[in-house]
Amino acid sequence: MALNRKTAVIGSAIFAPVTRQDRALEEILYELAQAALKDAGLTIDDIDGIVVASNDQFDGRAISIMAASGSVGGVDRDILSTPSAGEHAFVMGVLRIASGQYDTHLIVSWSPTEASSLSEAQRLGADPYFHRALPLDELSSNALQAAALAVAAPQAHQLAPRIAARNRANGAHAYPDAAKAPAGEAEIASSEAIRWPVRKGMVSEPITGAVALVIASEDFVDKHGIENPAWVRGMGWATEAGFLGDRELSKAPALEEAARRAYEEAGISDPRQSLDLVELTDVTPYQELLSYEALGLSKPEAWEADLGSGIFDRTGKVPINPSGGIVTLNPVFCTGLIRIAEAAGQVRGKAGRHQIKGARTALAHAASGFAMMYQTVLVLGAEREGVQA
Amino acid sequence: MELLKRQEDWKITYTHALGEVASWFFVQIRDNAKIFGRRCGDTGRVLVPPRAFSDQTLEPTTEWVEVGPGGKIETFTIVYEPFNNLPEPPYAFGYVLLDGADTALGGYFRGVDLADPAAAAEKLKIGTRVVTKFADKDKRKGDMLDFWFELA
Amino acid sequence: MSAPRVGIIGIGQSEFRSRRDDSSYPDLVREAVAKAMTEAQLDFDDIEAIVYSLSPDAMVGIGNAERLGVDAVGGRGKRFLRINTGGATGISSVAAAYYHVAAGACDVVMTAGADKVGECGDSQTVLNKIWDPQYERPLPLGTITMLAMSGIRYAEKYGMTQEDMAQVVVKNRKHASLNPHAHLRKEVTVDEVMASRMISWPIKLMDCCPQSSGGGAMILASERYIKENRLDAVWITGVGHCSETYYIGDRMGNGYMADHADAFALKRSFERAYKMAGITDPRKQVDVAELYAPFSNTEYHAIEAAGLAGLGEAVAQVNEGRFSIGGEIPVNPSGGVLCTNAIAVTAMIRVAEVALQVSGRAGGHQVKGAKLGIASGNGGDHQFFGTMVVEA
Repeated sequence: MALNRKTAVIGSAIFAPVTRQDRALEEILYELAQAALKDAGLTIDDIDGIVVASNDQFDGRAISIMAASGSVGGVDRDILSTPSAGEHAFVMGVLRIASGQYDTHLIVSWSPTEASSLSEAQRLGADPYFHRALPLDELSSNALQAAALAVAAPQAHQLAPRIAARNRANGAHAYPDAAKAPAGEAEIASSEAIRWPVRKGMVSEPITGAVALVIASEDFVDKHGIENPAWVRGMGWATEAGFLGDRELSKAPALEEAARRAYEEAGISDPRQSLDLVELTDVTPYQELLSYEALGLSKPEAWEADLGSGIFDRTGKVPINPSGGIVTLNPVFCTGLIRIAEAAGQVRGKAGRHQIKGARTALAHAASGFAMMYQTVLVLGAEREGVQA
Repeated sequence: MELLKRQEDWKITYTHALGEVASWFFVQIRDNAKIFGRRCGDTGRVLVPPRAFSDQTLEPTTEWVEVGPGGKIETFTIVYEPFNNLPEPPYAFGYVLLDGADTALGGYFRGVDLADPAAAAEKLKIGTRVVTKFADKDKRKGDMLDFWFELA
Repeated sequence: MSAPRVGIIGIGQSEFRSRRDDSSYPDLVREAVAKAMTEAQLDFDDIEAIVYSLSPDAMVGIGNAERLGVDAVGGRGKRFLRINTGGATGISSVAAAYYHVAAGACDVVMTAGADKVGECGDSQTVLNKIWDPQYERPLPLGTITMLAMSGIRYAEKYGMTQEDMAQVVVKNRKHASLNPHAHLRKEVTVDEVMASRMISWPIKLMDCCPQSSGGGAMILASERYIKENRLDAVWITGVGHCSETYYIGDRMGNGYMADHADAFALKRSFERAYKMAGITDPRKQVDVAELYAPFSNTEYHAIEAAGLAGLGEAVAQVNEGRFSIGGEIPVNPSGGVLCTNAIAVTAMIRVAEVALQVSGRAGGHQVKGAKLGIASGNGGDHQFFGTMVVEA
């Protein structure tokens, strides 16, 4: 069912990577929130509510969102937080605006690298009853899923290096100062298997990053004459089961469900026709392939032909990850919200070096947890309503 | 039936960047036994401990202001119960508004006999004048435990 | 835009205890969910979305423990997210569920969670880690000492004594003795509270909440769904949130916005919920209140922040019995947080108890004729506050 009121992204700021050591977390968040507000042409006085998301184990803080109350402008203001995923903060903000009780929201997520090991921090997410003794971090879970996918679709092994090479080339174009050097397919395919079948060249080391978005109701957009908003045309989110052993890892049913809902709301029946670009969660290129099928972009039997045709290249009809994706910049906890910010930036015509010319409709796919447990899909459009053609 | 339990602990070390403002503050404590606050450019309030921005105005702070060493107690408590990974009780700590500051700085109160809770609480009551004391220079590490408060 | 009406159609809560060695963490969630589902007479297929209620991961010792709870709430393939605002988490989760329905995203939403605080050997160690690593964490702060320092300021400002604090314990324990779900159900006297050992001046052992294990679940639905299916419901008519500064030392000194003695943002949050519900005179309009107060002294500033008494007036009015069952506006007729605190769901239970009261189903601790109730939750370092108005 459609939401009761329409919401648009009207501002954003992405700080990734944050390499400077002269800022404490609170100071980074302060500057980030101010930058997003400036991009929206607003001040904190225009903001009704805030939703933030962070991960206590990554941050080394219990109730880590407490750091946001003063820094992003929460004093005497309304804050909620969704520690399940950065992208869930966006979902919650959209729901709050659609409820009619808020006109604007600031959405913030961050992911520091101050822990001695993010892998260890992730392993605490394995339950102490059955799985804690296993070396189960997010990369391992993604590798298990990759292996399962490659049994169902063996061509994945051959296509994964190609996808990583494309995303890294996109990243080098979009963020030349931050991205690592692009690498060819052969180099990636022969790089060290860090968790078989995932190779070193297919993933990126975690970096510190933070992202903030400003969203507003249609009433606010109209009243303030805000130009080039990116309308939330469709929004779906869903979860897989908690235990990997309970899942068919070569499929992504929660993503299919999230996409079904988002496409239905947006009136999209043929995503390849309707979408001008896609920002998806290439946590490894195998997960990207899995997402192609679930998002209705390409079936396994067509993967090779589609990738060969260049349709998903930066210059193709439906560019995928023009930003370079997660293999380019990997602030682990907020990569999902960054996908949303990137897609919204494209629709707003403010994506920067990697702007896709004439982008009117963009899809953002965010995923979090072990082997993409939480799946979220946003369709963002330049048009407020009407069928996305 | 037999109900099993399993003990788990979390072993992760975090290296938190303190940032420019807190770093400068702690270096002043470590090297010079002095406490500084930052003045809010908008309201003129002096924030102690120093913050890069005021969370009330969201304006950056603009200048360093030396505060203390005298001040008055804003609140306190005296702890008599042991808690894992916290100090052996009894101990007293709380917040002090240092002379020249507009917000209160946390620290231990030392030199008060805590054996009788009511008597100790009377000595530490709100408004009582205190003075900041510093550890010897070779013991100071540049952190919140380099200083404490004693009754003036 | 006027707020669409959202109803509460199912409530489940555990009988809270110190330990539940018979149940794993997800089993405890499931226990509350099963009760709520039975009460609402729904199938899991009817639940469209889940809001998972869980405060710090470290308290249950599992990172993102909500993932382990997905099956316990029947969440597979459904819309699912988790809320955490510290101690306010439970009421923030009900609010988040409310927004799902009020947004038009779904007709039926469940919020659920559980806590096993008794299994965390170091709860004050965990809670010390809520403070910033630069300035306040190096102090031996915990939630007890933090609120003891609020009590010191409240006592200085308004003249509260330790005997006054004990009166809150006596009242709430008496209420809890009537509530089978409550954890501490033994009645106590002022003398017994005064004789209990000093923990953190002026807070003594019996001024403190227990560490409880147990779960809670609530099911919310749209007005259309409730009418179409002819369900019994009570209605959420007001929702508010507000926050204070992170730094305790900023709530004192000169020119502060909030005094650590009081509950400034709780007051602001209630103002928002009241405005939404059209409440202009809470002292006349509110029949019953479940206010988050984990230590006896904090019930006083909560009562005042809710507008049920003027600043500094709550002490005398508690002593007079105005906030006891049988009094004018019973506060914490369930026994409140002081008698039961399973952190992840504590503030949800505040809403659940008010819902039971206004539907006349509270049992032994029913407030006669209650039609409009209020609930609150406090989280962070007395920093995040959520409030709600529930009406028959």
